[in-house]
Amino acid sequence: MLIRTSLVLLTVAACLAPAAIPDRPEKLAFPELRYQPPDPSLHRTQLKSGPVAYIIPDRELPLVTVQVTVRVGSYLDPVDRQGLASMLGTLLVHGGTEEVSADVLEERLAFLAASLSAGIGADSGTVSLNLLSKDLLEGLRILRDVLSRPRFQEDKLELRRQQTLQGLKQRNDDSADIEAREMAALAHGPDFWAARYPTGSSITAITRQELLTFHHRWFHPANFTLAVSGDFDRTAMTAQLESLFEKWPFQGELPPPIPAVLHPAAPGVYVVDKDVPQGRVSILLPGVMRDDPSYPAIQIMNDILGGGGFTARIMNRVRSDEGLAYSAGSSFPGGTWFPSTFRAGFQSKSRTVAYASSIVLEEMQRMIDKPVTEEELRTAKRSFIDTFSENFNTQGKVAALFAREEFTGRFKKNPNFWKTYSQRLESVTTAEVQEAAVKHLHPDRVTLLVVGKKEEILKTHPDHPVKLESLYKGGIRDLPLRDPVTLQPLPSKTSDPDR
Amino acid sequence: MTFIHLSLRSVFSAVCLVTATSGLWAQQIPVVETTLPNGFKLLTVERRGEPRISGGWVAHVGSANERPGITGIAHLFEHMMFKGTPTLGTKDAKKDMEIIFEQERVRDEMRLEEAKMRTALRRGVITEITSPEAKTPRLKELEVNFKKLIEAQRETSVKNEFDRIYTTAGASGMNAFTSEDMTAYFISVPANKLELWMWMESERLLRPVFREFYSERDVVFEERRMRTDSTPTGKFTEQFNALFWDAHPYHWPVIGWPSDIPAISKKQADEFFALYYQPQNITLILVGDFQTTDAQKMATEYFGRIPRGKQPAPEVTTLEIPSVGEKRYYAEAETNPQVEIHWRTVGFGHRDSYALEVLQQLLLGRTGRLYKALVLGKQVATEAFAQQDSRKWAGAFAVGAEVKEGKTPLEVEQALEEEIGRIKVGDVPAEELQKVKNNFAAAEYRKLSANMPILFQLIFNEGLGDWREVNTGGAQIQAVTAADLRKVAVDYFKKENRAVAVYTRKAGAVADAEDPDMSGLTPEQKPVARQIAAALRAETDLEGMKQKLAQMETALASADPKKQPLQKFIVKKIIERVSQLSAK
Repeated sequence: MLIRTSLVLLTVAACLAPAAIPDRPEKLAFPELRYQPPDPSLHRTQLKSGPVAYIIPDRELPLVTVQVTVRVGSYLDPVDRQGLASMLGTLLVHGGTEEVSADVLEERLAFLAASLSAGIGADSGTVSLNLLSKDLLEGLRILRDVLSRPRFQEDKLELRRQQTLQGLKQRNDDSADIEAREMAALAHGPDFWAARYPTGSSITAITRQELLTFHHRWFHPANFTLAVSGDFDRTAMTAQLESLFEKWPFQGELPPPIPAVLHPAAPGVYVVDKDVPQGRVSILLPGVMRDDPSYPAIQIMNDILGGGGFTARIMNRVRSDEGLAYSAGSSFPGGTWFPSTFRAGFQSKSRTVAYASSIVLEEMQRMIDKPVTEEELRTAKRSFIDTFSENFNTQGKVAALFAREEFTGRFKKNPNFWKTYSQRLESVTTAEVQEAAVKHLHPDRVTLLVVGKKEEILKTHPDHPVKLESLYKGGIRDLPLRDPVTLQPLPSKTSDPDR
Repeated sequence: MTFIHLSLRSVFSAVCLVTATSGLWAQQIPVVETTLPNGFKLLTVERRGEPRISGGWVAHVGSANERPGITGIAHLFEHMMFKGTPTLGTKDAKKDMEIIFEQERVRDEMRLEEAKMRTALRRGVITEITSPEAKTPRLKELEVNFKKLIEAQRETSVKNEFDRIYTTAGASGMNAFTSEDMTAYFISVPANKLELWMWMESERLLRPVFREFYSERDVVFEERRMRTDSTPTGKFTEQFNALFWDAHPYHWPVIGWPSDIPAISKKQADEFFALYYQPQNITLILVGDFQTTDAQKMATEYFGRIPRGKQPAPEVTTLEIPSVGEKRYYAEAETNPQVEIHWRTVGFGHRDSYALEVLQQLLLGRTGRLYKALVLGKQVATEAFAQQDSRKWAGAFAVGAEVKEGKTPLEVEQALEEEIGRIKVGDVPAEELQKVKNNFAAAEYRKLSANMPILFQLIFNEGLGDWREVNTGGAQIQAVTAADLRKVAVDYFKKENRAVAVYTRKAGAVADAEDPDMSGLTPEQKPVARQIAAALRAETDLEGMKQKLAQMETALASADPKKQPLQKFIVKKIIERVSQLSAK
């Protein structure tokens, strides 16, 4: 549809406009805007067949989304079977069902233009179906079969195994992957579940029977939470969901709690030698839980330090002032299951890695030494509060967000979390921000990881003669590059007589 | 379980998925188009439900509009558009301008020194132009002067104020991108801040100040290091792209050649702005909770201040020359082996582009032909892709796959060509074509889920040539026939029209994979097993091995159960080696 409006009227209107355009945006006046988030209890249904469901009709488009969150995760991977949960996620939707082979099932879903996906991450699994509402009944039948009677076809298992094994070989190709892996080990301790990775032998050892056993233990309605949105009638959908989960063919278990005890590495400067022109830096400190009473102050503190993009101090100094990095910033995610690590990071050419690191540490110290300005505080608050409605801008997002709240247990503890979200942030003071910095930022006790060309990085830059080894009193520790398949340390280049 | 075939629950769906040639009425985006007297085009889409507005604008300029020497300027320029205005970003506009003027004077002198360094590089006096040690003494002095001017400027500057004002007003997602064909800027603001958007965007177009030009140039170089130089295949895809396009400016990368980025001057950026950021060359787009009449009135008031450009921005006139010979590219990189075949095809809106897009979908995905043939059938690859890239001035079609271990790039290349060959002889059944069209029809709905995706649809299509394509392209796709697919395959997928890229893993970049036979061993046993296996692979004494084998087999029966897995492993490896040697 194309409408061309007469410009004559518009031009007249413009000429009549009384006020001249001001020279500064503060001089503009805006209409009032208040936003109230949706109320989870209006959408919440406890199904008799087990799961709690958030069901939100939305008739704008002829589409339906059913998302099942499953209480499962790679933290449940059996000993020497790292990668099993993840592989199960893939094969659940790509390995056929008891009655229909994988190829036939995928072909049918493709013909319907339906998207059925599944993935098992560290602490949860998701099985998600998005399809045209006219195909809903057929889609739900497929979903039940996939969830309750997967086939885990042997040939598909072999294919997935082969793809995974070949994928492992790329683990050292990208310095970003090395950084992520070593960071997980330093932050959590190498034996913590979130730092355990599949190896050639763990992937090779996985059997179909093990997948079935794992599936039967965890994939049952008591472990499901649902987010359902789209083109349907709420009552009819509730009934359809009841029948989707009733008379489950097997009894499962409730999983044990997610282990939460971390063994982070000792503070210090750690270097992985990798021949790339740009070093990647991660600066780590122990984190907090998201329900920490001072978390709103921490959130604002981090936003001003490095979380707020171009309004944050790290970005202003490392990028805008000095031109040392394209991306630079920090994150302080409150943990859901265990205290999530604080991280500040950037990427800079080898010769300026040490200098840029010193700037980040300096900015951390400045957060401790001096209160932030009222203007910074206001910007940070508005950036959370006035963008708040974006969390709820589609019904699919609303349902998924509330289901996640249910799944992580926060809805039970604090059903008004989102209703009071703005209030909590609004009340934070500059003194509380400084307190949070004093308590949680310790530039003298950081774990600083560098992945890059060590020789060049140590040369530093004549204009900025900061030395990497001066950033922490303990000096530099080398971390070995690991064999991409076994993850065992590889002999270092310097000790290798062939080089 | 049985499948129901196309349950026709509503007329609506029947229209979309069965006849599928008409009835795309439901997916139309209700765009209102107006043109301001000075040439700006304004597109508005009213959409309720969320109290926000996604706003953006697209300048019809990209890297294709550059020339050698200033490649990367369109993108560098995009960065400069966030640096403020005379009233945003500084407390003293007059002093700020004086300092910028003085900075340019120092930079002119520095450029003379940089020219000397390039000469030194050509003569072999220095080997690396970017190294700090390569600087001339005079350049170092000038850098000190320049740094002083930066510090003087900082005394009155207000850091990233453009961003701070938006953020404090509850805006989010402010960003921009540059491609070969367009440069686009976008943001989401609360519904009551429409006028702020008008103020901010019109101000930066009316009187931008490109302060911090040179540190931003360094930022862009870091961006290049991050995306191109430090990634496993970045440098290689850049080189292959330069091989693929001969005459056309698509030949150079959007980010710019590494020698061009640090040589671009602020003066060149000023000229670039004057030429390409004039009202006639820009389309403003708003999607969300506002009244179109308000938006039109405000746009006229705010953007109406910007004078119409004196001459239209020049078109890209270079046409790609026909390819008369096949091109082949071979690279060793830190990546699993892979093969890609690229053909020159057609660009945005070309009558053949729809068939090529359908063909892409026919080949792509888990139920697409490439996966079925190469991954499931012949088992020569682990994954495969297909893509029709319809750009503004020209286009290309690519297929590719990762080579499965034990297979060769040649086998993959042949398998890819075989699948293309099947399309050329017209082998596409109706049901398969319908499957692909059903997915296009459903995607028409999926893309309408929120303001930002709608804004992006309009930006992309307008940037490539015409926003109307968002509403008319669907019908063109549904009209594609099997005969059309055959025709485009025959017309474009010719040997002389293709370029083939073959990547193999750089030797020594990665250690050998763990032997699956070692899976039962303890972590302590594995290093031992690895050493023994390596020694056995080098062993040539067949008789000695046979004796050793007999001894081991006897010992195995009485071995400590903990050691048995290791011994079994060794036995297995000896047997393998013995049979290898015997075969010779």
